[in-house]
Amino acid sequence: MLARIPPQTLRIFALLLVLFTVLLFFSTQVPNYLNGRLFNRISSSVAIMALIACGQTLVIITRNIDLSIGSIVGFVAFATGSLITNNPDIQPLVLATYSILLGACFGVINGLLVAYARIPSIIVTLGTMALFRSALVEYSDAKSITTNNLPTWLVEFPNTQLFNIGTFQFRAAFVVAVLVVIAVHIALTRLRPARKLYAVGSNPEAAEMAGINTKLVVFFAFCLAGALAGLAGFMFLARFGTITVVAGLGFELKSVASAVVGGVNIFGGSGTVIGALIGAILVDLIDMSLVRWQLVSEFWREAVLGTLILLSVAADAILMRRLIKLRVSREKKTTKSEVLS
Amino acid sequence: MSQPVLRLNGISKHFDMTKALSDMSITLMPGEVHAIVGENGAGKSTMIKIMTGIHQPTSGTIDVDGKARSISGPQAARDAGIAAIYQEPMVFPDLDVAENIFISDNSSGLLVRPAALRNRARALIERIGIKLDPSRIASGLTLAEQQTVEIARALSQDVRVLIMDEPTASLSAHEATLLRKIAKTLAGEGVAVVYISHRLEEIFEISDRVTVIRDGNHISTKLIEDVTSDGMITEMVGREVGNYFAKAAGTATNEIILEVRNLTLDGVFENISFDLHRGEVLCMAGLVGARRTDLALALFGVTPPTSGTIKYKGETTHFTTPRVAIEAGIAYVSEDRRKFGLAMPMAIKSNISLATLSDFLSPLGLLKHAREDKIAHHFTDRLNIRAPDVDTPVSMLSGGNQQKVMLAKWLNLNPELLIFDEPTRGIDIGAKAEVHDLIRTFVADGGAALVVSSDLPEVLAMGDRIFVMREGHQMGILDTANATQETVMILATGQLQEAV
Repeated sequence: MLARIPPQTLRIFALLLVLFTVLLFFSTQVPNYLNGRLFNRISSSVAIMALIACGQTLVIITRNIDLSIGSIVGFVAFATGSLITNNPDIQPLVLATYSILLGACFGVINGLLVAYARIPSIIVTLGTMALFRSALVEYSDAKSITTNNLPTWLVEFPNTQLFNIGTFQFRAAFVVAVLVVIAVHIALTRLRPARKLYAVGSNPEAAEMAGINTKLVVFFAFCLAGALAGLAGFMFLARFGTITVVAGLGFELKSVASAVVGGVNIFGGSGTVIGALIGAILVDLIDMSLVRWQLVSEFWREAVLGTLILLSVAADAILMRRLIKLRVSREKKTTKSEVLS
Repeated sequence: MSQPVLRLNGISKHFDMTKALSDMSITLMPGEVHAIVGENGAGKSTMIKIMTGIHQPTSGTIDVDGKARSISGPQAARDAGIAAIYQEPMVFPDLDVAENIFISDNSSGLLVRPAALRNRARALIERIGIKLDPSRIASGLTLAEQQTVEIARALSQDVRVLIMDEPTASLSAHEATLLRKIAKTLAGEGVAVVYISHRLEEIFEISDRVTVIRDGNHISTKLIEDVTSDGMITEMVGREVGNYFAKAAGTATNEIILEVRNLTLDGVFENISFDLHRGEVLCMAGLVGARRTDLALALFGVTPPTSGTIKYKGETTHFTTPRVAIEAGIAYVSEDRRKFGLAMPMAIKSNISLATLSDFLSPLGLLKHAREDKIAHHFTDRLNIRAPDVDTPVSMLSGGNQQKVMLAKWLNLNPELLIFDEPTRGIDIGAKAEVHDLIRTFVADGGAALVVSSDLPEVLAMGDRIFVMREGHQMGILDTANATQETVMILATGQLQEAV
């Protein structure tokens, strides 16, 4: 049966298994661990990271990386906040669109430099990470956005309960994030142009030979990542309300971690955004559970988190190898029996 | 008479100072297999890249169906119905077969229906006449299967000119036969097939016309009936090659340097037994999947065998890692130059010293550049490596010269036993003969060589004896004095098992 499931699906099953194991482990360590509150906490914080990791995945699939993504989130959150503070009558959808477009503009800068100026993405986005952050410092003039100045619809939006399952509350931010991830997933698997994203990351030379406009594909990936970071910036503003110049700091590495834990190949060519979503959940779950784990002091949390991330990636890799081996031996058996019959 | 589908008129191409093509004209008719031959560096690749829109000509024009047309890029080439497949197939390892075939297909709307895609892929694959599951991921395919995927991709785009660049260089004889059959079939359907190959015998087998090019110039285009193999070689190299695959003189001694008995690696090969004498070249022949490379890697300590014995210079040994084998005086020259052999962006001299870096250290632990230079010059002279200087990056050299740099790197270790995996794959005839000479000189000076080769004329010319394998089994050992291509192939295809 396993032999029939495509590898990417297997990978997601393997990840869910790891997720389940982590849950099981902490439930033996932390009293009163498995309850609705855990779900509500994780889902609130994952809502933002899922969007960023989703954009990061698109970029990584094309053999690139976007380190400026955290700075984009910060800038967009601040700019959106100051826009609504000064014009409190703006419609919600218009405001969200503004965030997304602003994020996409930053993506355009990255995309132009990587795809058309042919500068390696790690260098470009290392540079724009600092540039976008400095732009935020300059633009904000060292002031902060505060919750008091924001309209109530915006502040209440992320925690609006859309529906409940038992004690699990499905809040608007999480539902929006999951819907976006699912939409991107469907686009990646079913839209013809999306295949080109994988083609470019899988074998750039062959993609060029096959007549694919590889530059446009890479450019497009960065634009989309920027747009998703823009949406994440909107959510960030709504969730925290108070925005300073350090908003979104460190998100770039956490998004890479989420994607990689989620089975996205850091060398490009393969990976799913569903995987990245589960990766984001896993990283967040571990992070949040460690806070409540008495055995680990505050100072060791980062180290334990890093180790657990490595372990979960290793576990995932080992599981995958096993499953693929199983597939291959099945395939061999079937071809042999075909020959014999 | 029908109209030519593609015609190059006086095409020239310059790269900076070097002239890759000058005044090249060629006419392709629908339904013909048109072979193009020439040494490496003769300009074949440049010509293909101009036909497929990757390069733009410096001067000259291109006609498609009798009308002047510029092929400004790969997409324009595809629109004109021109496609190419290469020795190293251009597949996307992470995508499945069907997705690979239809990657640049824009005909059926925005949405992909995987099941429909697979059915269309299956139809194309069947048209080629082979079996391949369209849902398989490309990274697990053999080279031959990957090429089939590329041919199917070309067919999906309604190809009218199919360029095959050294398509059989990496294939087993059986797979190559199949591929030639496919080329013939496509020509029968009216496609103009451009066939580029170093294997002259297959050119005689399938082509209708042959064009010889040399140093970027068009030398001749003739009907295949009007060409002889000697004549073609003469035109290619511009000189008589007296020693083209001349039979080597035997230098084997009675001393056994390597004695292998009942060597088995579970599931890979079993019961392999042979002796290798000092001064001898033992060639290993067989089709792809014969497990020759696996046997070589086992001898070199990469994948230690599960049972059986290896006696090296009279002593039973267990090489568990390549390092141990290297220290014992064994060198393994890989078939994959890019992957295992050379550090492409590094200079010739750095590549040569790479395996013996500790010999180049001064007492302070710094590299002695003067000594590195000296050794590098010694080898570039001895092996006739053609390069501007020893600081040239290896990536700038031709295949034949890269192969010689790799050989220099291993000779620098002063090995006694050289294991060669496909030493002349994809390099031109002149360089092949030079590599043969180098291997013969090495054994004449007291070494011994084990050569894995799929090139039968080469095996027959260079080897003292031929060890034939098939699917992990030893099929027999032939003396080259009384072996022919046919006797080797009979064993390799398993039509006869010689009593061992």
